[in-house]
Amino acid sequence: MSAFSGTVGLALKIAFLSIVNALGIWAAVVLIDHHKWRAVAVLAAATAGLDAIYLVKRWTLPLKFLIPGTIFLLAFHVVPVAYTVNVAFTNYSTGHILSKSEAIAGIKVNSLTEVENGKAYTIAPARDKGGHFLLVLRDDSGATFIGTKDGLRPIPRSDVTVSDGAITAARGYRVLKGTELGSLDKELSTFTVPLGGDKAIQPQGFDTAVVLAPTLRYDPKADGFVRLKDGVLFKDNNRGSFVAANGEELEPGWKTYVGTRNFSRIAHSSLIRDPFLKVFVWTLVFASLVVFISFALGLLLAITLNKPGLSFQRTYRALLVIPFAVPAFLSLLVWQGLLNDDFGVVNRLFHTSIPWLFDPNWARVSVILVSVWLVTLPLLLVAVAPLMIASFAFNFNNFGNIYLLTGGGPALGNSPVAGATDILISYTYKIAFAAGKGQDYGLASALAIIIFFVVATISAVSFTRTKALENLA
Amino acid sequence: MSTSERVAEVTVPAVAERRQPKRRRFAQNWWRHAVALIALVFALFPVAYVLSAAFNGDNSLSGSSLIPRHVTFDNFRTLFVGQKNTTGHATFQNAHYASWFANSMIVAGATALLTVLLGALAAYAFSRFRFRGRRLGMLTLLLIHMFPQLLAVLAIYLIVLNVGDIFHFIGLNTLSALVLVYLGGAMGVNTWLMKGFFDTIPSELDESARVDGATPAQVFWGVVLPLAAPVLAVIALISFVATLNEFVIASVVLETQHKFTLPVGLWQYIDQKYSEHWGPFAAGVLIAAVPAALLFAFLQRYIVQGLTQGAVKG
Repeated sequence: MSAFSGTVGLALKIAFLSIVNALGIWAAVVLIDHHKWRAVAVLAAATAGLDAIYLVKRWTLPLKFLIPGTIFLLAFHVVPVAYTVNVAFTNYSTGHILSKSEAIAGIKVNSLTEVENGKAYTIAPARDKGGHFLLVLRDDSGATFIGTKDGLRPIPRSDVTVSDGAITAARGYRVLKGTELGSLDKELSTFTVPLGGDKAIQPQGFDTAVVLAPTLRYDPKADGFVRLKDGVLFKDNNRGSFVAANGEELEPGWKTYVGTRNFSRIAHSSLIRDPFLKVFVWTLVFASLVVFISFALGLLLAITLNKPGLSFQRTYRALLVIPFAVPAFLSLLVWQGLLNDDFGVVNRLFHTSIPWLFDPNWARVSVILVSVWLVTLPLLLVAVAPLMIASFAFNFNNFGNIYLLTGGGPALGNSPVAGATDILISYTYKIAFAAGKGQDYGLASALAIIIFFVVATISAVSFTRTKALENLA
Repeated sequence: MSTSERVAEVTVPAVAERRQPKRRRFAQNWWRHAVALIALVFALFPVAYVLSAAFNGDNSLSGSSLIPRHVTFDNFRTLFVGQKNTTGHATFQNAHYASWFANSMIVAGATALLTVLLGALAAYAFSRFRFRGRRLGMLTLLLIHMFPQLLAVLAIYLIVLNVGDIFHFIGLNTLSALVLVYLGGAMGVNTWLMKGFFDTIPSELDESARVDGATPAQVFWGVVLPLAAPVLAVIALISFVATLNEFVIASVVLETQHKFTLPVGLWQYIDQKYSEHWGPFAAGVLIAAVPAALLFAFLQRYIVQGLTQGAVKG
């Protein structure tokens, strides 16, 4: 009866645990090497936990079977979802990606502008004996300097060889030439030589540099930036930006918690609420129509074909199931081609020129038509009423059908993001990833939570109706 | 009654007897056949069209007709070798189809196998053991999966990005990372379906095995799994097709042409270029449809059995 004897089973178990532990130790070594201490702690705890579960005899028995799947569930579903929920309460979006201290540093750098009538330098990128990157500089008067990340230091003019106005050599340093310069782009573009008073020398290409001075000064006490020319104060607005009294805002902002602001934006900001409501209504219409038409057609076909003794019955059934065996993404891409208004077969067949995918209303008809095509036929196999609610919940989130067919489009005139055929999930996806006007992860995550509650409600109704919970008895 | 008719009756009486009721049946059922034929046209028209376009020599969408004027395999060659450009070199972007196909098979195959394994392990625990938190655990699984993994794709991207900084082999642009992410969905609705099926396997079978001295692991591998073959086949098929279809996560995790899966590759191949790429695209669709179709054919007898027993019986 048993697949293998107790000894073989034990051996397999020991081998498996040994591999897990070996992997754990190897990964820990790599992580320690990268100074990822928290990850090391999590890894050690997880490995110890696994060992305990599989070595202890009795009471961990169910866990032995549940743990493998649970690990993946936690790592790639629960953690991402938890993170998404977290993001829903932040302003994480284009322009609010950095931490506050990174944003302050960024604003300081952005505010550097060339000083009027400031000094200009001829430069040459070079390395010292230790290989450290630095600049050899020469100003208009012929005075020569070495510029490092720490500051500017004069050197004797005689140390520097100049020919045709370019620095070609410097005693004690190796001036970089030719191909060496090519690989330097990134290092050079971020390299500045600090001077007193927040000023700095910044290279402008490989052979000149100018003096830059900040136009803004960070005041830690006021937690804001002061504009030097007019003294205007930009204060932290608690929503991830420094803002002046007149509404002027400094960029970049930073990521911060904003409470339920994303949700209240969905409820109150007409820019978001109106497209959201339109999309929401269309989602309901789409899902119900697809389910209704599919079931009506499915039922009709079932009644039609279920006549005992009907000739070709088996042939009809066998042929009707063929599309079901074709992966949906292929069918969707094919339909996109068939419905193409210029070349599409559908238009050529009927001698029409209907913009199937590019007119808002026709596009809506098309996504329903194609979804019905995809849904109806499998129902010939299992046309049962309880499936209707499940099918509704499925179509409510049927991202693929919309995105692969119309991409949510065509665009609706009054919204930059929402298209005529967008359902909530594709609208959310576009806000997070594909919006031309910048991406708003916070808002998208808030929408994701709303979708979750809608689907959970639908499913709860479905379960009480079908009494699937009896399974638990 | 005319003579000729009588003659006919005499010469082929057996055939006439059988044919007569059949003809009458057809007369009664003509509308059924009409409905079936309309349904068939609606259902099979895209399939027929792809079939014809794949073998059609004229590979633009506008030039395609339902019956190919001359049958060629050029489209298939374009797909695997690439089109020759004016200098005689294969144009690069067309020649990745083989990689896309292989990648899809690897990812979907691995995901399907491991999903069945992980799901079956969990389903066995839920079906056979009575432990605290069992009910809560199953409900939690359902609840978690109502939050689509798709909407957490930003977090998934960041996780893969950060893990990949240290462990390159499961970082961005690797198939292994994609499989790992998909396995996050291994315990979910599948587990419920399998648990339902496991419940129908009489527990007397396990008990007698246990009396004979088998461990729970031996009962799982030796008794329950072989008896659950139908539902395992169905879950493997569902998982395989679902993974094959998955577009969003694949498009975020995979970055370069030769790592793409079929949906990402074909979507990008056809995007905005329908008229030029229609022929090779149709050929690609045809080949891409083969594995799933074969699986359906082989597993057909299991599908209804596995689905109905798992879903309906408690």
